[in-house]
Amino acid sequence: MLVLLDTNAYLRLAKRIRPLLGVEFGHNQYSLNVLKQVEDEVFKSPRLQFLYPWFTDTELKAERMGKLVRLSKEERTKIEAASSVLHAYVLSDPLGYTSHGRSPPSPTDCFILAFGQVRPAIVVTDDLGMHKLANDFDIDIWHGHDLLKKMLTAKVITNDQVREIFTALENNDDLPRTWQEVKHTSFKKLFGPKP
Amino acid sequence: MEKLLNYGAIQSALTERGITQKQLASSVGTSSQAVTNWLKGKDFPRPASLLKLATILGLTFDQLVQTSNAGRPIIAYRKKANAKTTDAHIAKAEGIGMLLKPLVSYLPELQALRTLITSPSTDYDKLQIVASQTRSRLGIGEQAVLGYEHLLGEFKECGAILVPVLWGSKGNHENALHIRLPQEDVTFIYLNLDTRLEDFKFWMAHELAHVLTPELSGKIEGEDFADAFAGALLYPRACAEQAYRAATQQPSLDRAIEVLLHQADVHMISLNTIFQQVQRYAKAANLMLLPIEEKNIHALRNSLRGPLVSETMFDPMPPSPQRYIAACEKTFQTGFFLALKRMIHHSGTGASYVQQVLDASLQDASALYEELRR
Repeated sequence: MLVLLDTNAYLRLAKRIRPLLGVEFGHNQYSLNVLKQVEDEVFKSPRLQFLYPWFTDTELKAERMGKLVRLSKEERTKIEAASSVLHAYVLSDPLGYTSHGRSPPSPTDCFILAFGQVRPAIVVTDDLGMHKLANDFDIDIWHGHDLLKKMLTAKVITNDQVREIFTALENNDDLPRTWQEVKHTSFKKLFGPKP
Repeated sequence: MEKLLNYGAIQSALTERGITQKQLASSVGTSSQAVTNWLKGKDFPRPASLLKLATILGLTFDQLVQTSNAGRPIIAYRKKANAKTTDAHIAKAEGIGMLLKPLVSYLPELQALRTLITSPSTDYDKLQIVASQTRSRLGIGEQAVLGYEHLLGEFKECGAILVPVLWGSKGNHENALHIRLPQEDVTFIYLNLDTRLEDFKFWMAHELAHVLTPELSGKIEGEDFADAFAGALLYPRACAEQAYRAATQQPSLDRAIEVLLHQADVHMISLNTIFQQVQRYAKAANLMLLPIEEKNIHALRNSLRGPLVSETMFDPMPPSPQRYIAACEKTFQTGFFLALKRMIHHSGTGASYVQQVLDASLQDASALYEELRR
């Protein structure tokens, strides 16, 4: 089963889990990947390049490029059609997508969710607006911490790696609220009960 | 928003793909009766079913669904020369307009009683009357130089929200973008500060025309009127008449152009605006037009381009988010950023919202967001 990481999800994990893409794990044979949009988004943003200098490491770049998803014309038509429906839905409920810590999913975000619907794939993102949209449309979606938990259960990552990732995100002031909420529940064995 | 499936488009797609209505129902995972009800407009599919319809039939939302125009943002562009407005540009601007709706409740209280131009016309004499009335309302005479502060005050009086943006001097489509939300009765005017100083006042006046004529917003005649109004307001008949006399008394065309250039400097508007207004005056007064070719005016204007508004406002460029917001609030008296700040604090809205409503880069939006979140 294909699992697609959005830009932030990839940037939160790729430095500390290597290899990350294309490795099958779990009963459902999950296999992680990213779309070319991740590459485009980082290379368009000097800020992201500054914050994540390791993104251009030869090894990581080769991994991303080697696993790049190619779309047929038919698939692209379907994804663009689905993407337009998702974005229209966001625009019809702007209030719902700007409250409770959400941002309205952009056309690029909608494209990723549409990809998940058409291929199919599970989308991994910590964007709360994308979660609301995916839930409204019955599209499979995980938070980054859901993926981490599944990788830990499948023993493709270690407890130490999970601790390192949480610590790094906390130090960078980049630990999403949803990760904070599960730190002492889903990962209770590692971090203990809530103090 | 009242929605109906587009029966014709769906039937065509089914025929083209050789799919029966029964097969469609099966692929969507519903009953044939449910599909029949959707097509007859008795019911509308749930989001997940609508998504499946779109992917199975390869139809985009606009092809698949008929929506009413109620509440749809009205868009008007002040285009850059030679720029072509496409459906994609309009759709993008409408998207920004839809996203601005939740921001409205955070805006400062807007003026309820507003001035309107009741019978907008591009006829020279009628335009001069409107320009004269507007100048009179602003408290300035026929020959006085109209300043930015006059226009800014007028926007405020008309309940329009200015959104100064840095969209670059090249590549981007708009010099200004006008988004009217008819249901909310608010107009947002995006002003690109990366525009030549000499042009800036012209299209501010152009945008003011849109605000004063809401029923023409988004129509070609609205753009024509806005251009004509801007010229007449910034350089009315009294000015044009005097410049015409002075220019025609010069011994050479070069000297006549110098008269026009001097007027452009004094009024802080482009040479082209002066030239066009003088020629319009001459034509309306049945006088001989100045024997100056328009292409020469454009060539001269292009060789004398002044600084960008952003360069005069923010030195050095680019400004920090703090300086950018402070300068925009002070110079343009806009309540936009305060409203954005209130919304972020109250609703926890994320950085991507700032990026989308300002059509800014991720980098700029993130920095602005951090500043607004403080």
